[in-house]
Formats: sequence, C-alpha cells, structure tokens
Amino acid sequence: MPVSGYIKAFIIFLFLALPASAPGAELFTDVTETRLENGLKLILLENHTAPVITFQVWYHAGARREAWGKTGLAHVFEHMMFKGTKNYSGEEFTRIIQSNGGNYNAFTAHDFAGYYENLGADRVEIAIELEADRMRNVVMQPDEFKTEVNVVMEERRTRVDDDPRGYLHEQVRAVAFQAQPYHWPIIGWINDLERLTVEDARAYYDTYYSPANAFVVAVGDFRTDEIIRKIDRHFGKIASGKSPPVLHYRDPPQTGERRVDVNAFAELPSVLIGYHVPNLHDPDAYVLEVIAAVLSAGKSSRLYRNLVLERLALSASAQNPLLSVDPDLFYLSAEPLPGKTPEQVEAALDRETARLRNEAVDGEELQRAKNQLETGFIYGQDSMFYQGMLLAYHEIADKWQRIRDYIPAIRKVTAEDVRRVANAYLRPEQRTVGFLRPKAANAGDGRPAGTPAGGEEAK
Amino acid sequence: MNGNRMKTALIRIFLGVTILLLAGYGESPAAIPRVTRMVLNENQMTVLFAEQHTLPFVTFNLLIDAGAWRDPEGKGGLANLAAEAILLGTKDRDFDAINRELDFLGAELSTECGRDFVTVTLRVLKKNLDQGLALFFDVLFNPAFPPEQVERKLREIEAGVRSLQDQPEEVAERNFIQALFRENPYGHPVEGTTESLARIAPEDAARFYRETWQPGNAVLAVVGDLTQEELESAVLSRMRKWPSGKIAEKRFKTIFVESPEPVRVDRPISQATVILGHPGIERSHPDYYAVSVMNQVLGGGGFTSRLMKEIRVKRGLAYATVSFFVPGKFPGSFQILLQTKNSTATEAIRIALDEMRKMKTAPPTDPEIETAKNYLIGSFPMRFDTQAELSEVLVQVEYYGLGLDYFEKYPDYIRAIDRQAVHRAAEKYLMPDRVISSIVADMGKTDLGK
Repeated sequence: MPVSGYIKAFIIFLFLALPASAPGAELFTDVTETRLENGLKLILLENHTAPVITFQVWYHAGARREAWGKTGLAHVFEHMMFKGTKNYSGEEFTRIIQSNGGNYNAFTAHDFAGYYENLGADRVEIAIELEADRMRNVVMQPDEFKTEVNVVMEERRTRVDDDPRGYLHEQVRAVAFQAQPYHWPIIGWINDLERLTVEDARAYYDTYYSPANAFVVAVGDFRTDEIIRKIDRHFGKIASGKSPPVLHYRDPPQTGERRVDVNAFAELPSVLIGYHVPNLHDPDAYVLEVIAAVLSAGKSSRLYRNLVLERLALSASAQNPLLSVDPDLFYLSAEPLPGKTPEQVEAALDRETARLRNEAVDGEELQRAKNQLETGFIYGQDSMFYQGMLLAYHEIADKWQRIRDYIPAIRKVTAEDVRRVANAYLRPEQRTVGFLRPKAANAGDGRPAGTPAGGEEAK
Repeated sequence: MNGNRMKTALIRIFLGVTILLLAGYGESPAAIPRVTRMVLNENQMTVLFAEQHTLPFVTFNLLIDAGAWRDPEGKGGLANLAAEAILLGTKDRDFDAINRELDFLGAELSTECGRDFVTVTLRVLKKNLDQGLALFFDVLFNPAFPPEQVERKLREIEAGVRSLQDQPEEVAERNFIQALFRENPYGHPVEGTTESLARIAPEDAARFYRETWQPGNAVLAVVGDLTQEELESAVLSRMRKWPSGKIAEKRFKTIFVESPEPVRVDRPISQATVILGHPGIERSHPDYYAVSVMNQVLGGGGFTSRLMKEIRVKRGLAYATVSFFVPGKFPGSFQILLQTKNSTATEAIRIALDEMRKMKTAPPTDPEIETAKNYLIGSFPMRFDTQAELSEVLVQVEYYGLGLDYFEKYPDYIRAIDRQAVHRAAEKYLMPDRVISSIVADMGKTDLGK
C-alpha cells in the first residue's frame, strides 16, 4: 500500500521497532476533535475491538525546522525526550511504562516528531501524565547530549553509511530538492551532528514543544468524555506557548533531468528515480495513488510482470508521497538481477512511464488497482496504532478530516485521468535518476554489475 | 523503501523474539480470545476458530510442519522454494490468472517459510470469501509446479541471497548459525545458500510438497467475520477432503559445536556488526518462562535492559543492542546483537560479555525482575489485538503444544518465576565462556583478530 510505504520510508524511530500495516475507512466518521483551553488539539477515535489504547503526541517539529549547518537537531532532540524530566528520570520513564505492560517509541520526519505509548486501556492515564510532563519539563545535561549524538552517529552508520541503498536514497533527495528542506537528511549530515550543542537542543525545545504547536491522537477502548477529562487534568495546566508558523517551501520548477551515481561496496546495483509530484493539496495526487497501484500493487501489476517476471529485476516498486507538507517525490525503484545493468532496468521503467502517458489503462486493470487500494484501506482497520498514525499524517499534511476523501477520490479516478496525470508529472525533465553502482572493496573503480564481489574474506 | 533495509532486518529479529515469547496476557477477561478447537476426523487436521464480527474481513493462517529443518541434506532452501512454488500455478490456473484474480479481489495470499514450519495466509473481505477461498484451496491442493516458473523463482531466490550480502547483520547471522549448528538441521539459512540452491531442481519442490505438506502435519487458524456454520460449509467441508498420506520421516539431531572458531568477514564499512551467542533451548522446555524473564533483564527489555543501559545509554556506543533466545521446536540459539563503529568493537564486545557474566555475579534484582514480569504479563494482549497477529499466535500455540488454556494461564506462568528461578536461568543458560562471535567489520580499523 503506497501510504504505508510512505510512512515506513521517511521516518526515523528512536529505536528499532515495527509500526503496523495499512489504513481504515467508514470508521473515521466517529472521530471527535476538540481543544483544551491552552490550544492543545485532541483527535480521538473510540475503537472497542480490544482493551488497548494508542496514545500519541505529535509536534509540528520535524527536520524542516532546522537551520542550515545544524541538520539532525530535530531527531537528536527527539532522543533527548527520553533522558528525563525534573519529575522522572529517563530510566523511570521507561520503567513505568514497561511495568504497566506498555510499548513506546518515537519518530522524526521532515514534517513532524511523534511520540506514542500503546498500552492496556485501564492504564492510559500513565501515558497521559508522562507525555504531559515531558512536553515542558525535560532536563538536558551536556554530557548526556554528547552521548546521544554518538548514538545517532551510530544510527547514521547503520542506516546510511553502511547501507548502500540508504545512501543512494539520501543522494537522490539531495539532488532532487534545492529549496525545500527535504534536501537534507532527517538524520543530519555527519559534520552537522558534530556541531550540535545542548544549547541548540534547549532553544529548539523552547520554541517548538508546547500545546500550541502540538496535537494529541488517541485511538482505542476509551470513552471520549472520560479521556478528555484525563488529558485536560495533565496537559490543561501547561501554558499555551508559541505556534511558529509552518513555512511552505517550493523548489523551482525542474526543467531538465538530473542524474546521480553512487559508487559503494554492494553486491547488486540499484535504481531509484524520483519525480516531482503534488501531494494531497492537489486532486492529481489521488490519481498518482492509482498510478502507483497499477505499477506495483500485487503480482499482476505492471512492474512485477514486466521487470520481475521478465528476469530484469529482483524487485521493483512505485511509491506515491500523498501525505506531506510540501510536495515530494514519486519513486520508481528496482534492484537489477545479477547480470543486468541499471541502464537496462531504467529503460524498462521508462517503457512503463511512456505506456502510462500514451495508452489508456484498460478498465479491468484500473478497477483492480482501485480495489487493492480500497481493501488495503479496510485491512488497515486491523491496527489501532496505524489508525492513529493515519489520522496524524493527514492532520500534519492538511487536516485529519481529509482521511475521508481517500476512498471517494480513488473511486473517481478514470483512465483519462491516469493518462493526463502521467503526462503532467512522469516526465524525464522533472526527475532525478540515481544509480547505485557496486564497487569492489579494494579497487577504486566501479565493477560491472553482476560480477562477484571481491574484497571479502571469511576467517 | 531501501533506506530501511537494515531496520527491516533487525525488525525481523525483534519480531522473531516477540513471536516466540508469546508474551504475558492481560488481566482483563475481555482480552482473552474465544477460540474453538476442532480436529477433523477424516485427516487429523487441527482447526482453531475465533469468531469476530467487528471488521468486515477474515484471516486464514495455515501452518504446516514443513519448514527448513526438513530440507534434505545438501539441499538447503528446498522447503522455502516449495512454499514459494505453490503460488506459481495450479492445474486450472496459471500464475497470471491466480494473481489477476487475487488482485481484483484485493485479497492477500502468501506463503512464508521459517526454520520449523511454513504458513499459508489469506486475508479476504467477507463479501469475497468464496472467491478468495477458491484460490486458497486451489494453490494448496493443486499446485502444478510449472518447471519454467519454478526455475525462475529459484534464480530469483539466488539473487535475493546475493542481495542479502549487502546487509551486514544478515551476513553475521548466516555465519553465526552455520558456526553454531553445523550439520544440525538449523545450521543452514532458510533461503539456502548459493551452493545449496545450485543443487536443487524444480522437480525437487514438487516432491518435497508431496512428502511433507500433509493435513496430519497442519494447523489452520481462522479469525474474523465468519460464523461456525459458514466455517463448516466454506472451509471445513473442503479441508476434510485433503487426503492424508505418509509424512516423510525426518530426524533432528541436536549437535552444537563445542569450541567454535570466531567467524569474521572483512569489508570496507564504518560499523562493526557483532553477534555473540551460543546454544539455547526449545520452546517446550520447562525453563522457557524463567529464561524469558531473565533475558528481558539482560537485553530483551529495551531501555530497561542492562545491555542497552551500558552500551547505549551510558556510553553511546551503539544505536541497536539486544539479546534474545530463539527457541524452536528443537533447541535453538541465544544471541546478543550489537552494531558499533569499528574502533569501538572491542570495547562493546567486552561490555556485552561482562554483562553476561554479571547476570551471574550480580544477578537480577527484585525491581528488575518485577519490571520484566509486569511487562511480559501486561503487554500480552497487544501481541494479538489484530486478526493477523491472533491467527499467527493461534497456530503456534497449537504447534508448540501450549494448550488453548495458555491464554489464561500465561500470567501465572510468569508470576511463578521467582528470583531463584531467574538466577538459576542465568546460571544455566548464559554461557559467556562458550560464546561464538560472528563479526562483519573493517577489521583493520578494529583491534580484533590480534
């Protein structure tokens, strides 16, 4: 499902853990929205299928808020949210939640930072109290801050420096975006991380962590009036704070293809192509959802049939960035099979985009894509956590009510829409093409795809 | 997305742990799923059914004791290939027909092969139930194993195995299990190796399927929007016709290497990936629960565990560090996984081994044990609060012989673990002096191997 793919792709978790599956439908008619007196917005959805609750606090405080030269701050600060407050040490925080059978984590993206606890319904006030506490009372020590920067550097090594595909992804974005903050990685450039100080973190906290710049999402086995009282009891006393305006950035129109090669130690090459596309603020974004499904939802999809079954690629996929504050990239990606080159795979992907631009998609195929998007949305109801994520994603990108547009907007898409939208956006001049070219460990030159990796020895 | 492969791989490890722990269960009786258990007279197949009408779909999970442990000697990866291959075509439908139909229904049909068993899962909207099940039964009963498609799949798996080489933790894990288990059926990776895959022919998959995919070997869990009557007419009536045959015999010899050599892979990367481990226990072992609590304190409990505190929180040496037991049908492994920059690999390894020893010399305290027990018990309802998770837990409860009252009894199993039991578990099941290390790093930038 493209939406869940998006969620997995662009956020960084405090520690390794798994978010759940895909989105949900009619259910979202019962959402309650309200505000505390200090301006904190609450988005609440009762769901009584199991005696558990997901409690989530979201801040309009992602990497987009960072200054040039201080990238990575939003994410490092998110880690500091676990280091303790004047009331509870970091160790107490985690021990209290775990002793109550709760799971917790946090994540940072360009557009937000989010924190959650999933726990038994009768324990929810524990999460509420702890989240309210750390909205204002975090205490940061310089030495702890330095230690945490080291942890993030290790995280960067794992995710980017030693993961050739993670590195390719970072490079493609850095080339595709010039004016938008999506240009720099959420995890930060390594020498920016070295530069960060505890004072930076304190200023960041004071500016962005307050009721006016946050909202709460809760989904689960509660009574709405009761949970509002509980939330008010703990968050209600916090001063409203600032709500720094979210600036909207726009890259200048791209007028020619950009290409980037990444030479890294790897077994197989990889291809990642990003096209500038609109997000949910433009109805065309929903057509792009359908296009992504035609291309890669299921084994009857075009990329599976024409790249995987035709023995060009090990895998191939399309992803649409429906939910973002600023427009993002529609991705085509594939891993060439041994013996196949990135160029061959790129040519195959080009045939698919050309076909979308030039030929009408047939009725049965279009319906198949829409059916998959719709059932994916329904299956998503299986997870309360995911329902909460989806509400929050829509709220960050626009407003949570937009979630209700999803199914109707998908159903409306016609074959003509698909052709028109493919012509408008899936054009070579507004894309960035990235190749991962495997290189041998001990040689400086790129070795051709499909030849055995060198430089490795098992002792 | 690609940037996540590392995460995905580690998640798999984390998940492996949570699944096997089948952790504690909530206090609230409402949280205990109502499950009906049936054994079909015709073929001895077990069926578990949890009726739930809150969501408009149904999840089917069929477990078959035909995992990688049954791979014939030298043909590692065959069980996995067979599981993949049943989806490649049937006597009535080719690959294309199966997938067009599935995708049109928005139904999800997939297979997954593990060390012990294979699962076939179907998720389908209630309104499409009959069509979804028709596909499910067709691939299950009538797979055609079209040679050209099976051959293609084999090459795809082979390429996948090469692609795994790009993930240091996959490389470390494969080397680790091979060093630990050797000729033991757990000693090869589920997907096989480049060498073992080269020895497999497409017709092997068909033979493996015939010899091991048997109803007497199978457990089906059905969860969701279905009544008992509908279950009988749409599902059981057809399952009863699955003829039982003779299940090929397979012995499991538990052999662990006594004084294994460290395994090291040298490559130009910035971080050392380290697995430290040794033999573990089987899921049905009476000490399983004591081991669960003990490991939670050592490295299974996130920020409340000792490894995380010492390696990450105090020293900032790693982003990820975790310990886990992998108990299977047969005795599995214990592992500590950590990733740290090359230059601090030695230090992090020393700390990890120290923490193993300290579990004996400074054994878990009462507060540590309480936190661990409360977490295991309290978080249990969240392990199966979705159809997908419940169906998965159900088949495993049956497979590992835990009994359907397991859902009610789990909190008591954990509560019964006192301080002495935890200390005994640390004493007996942590063996710092028998640790095998499997490391992928830029060796020249570490001071390892000297």
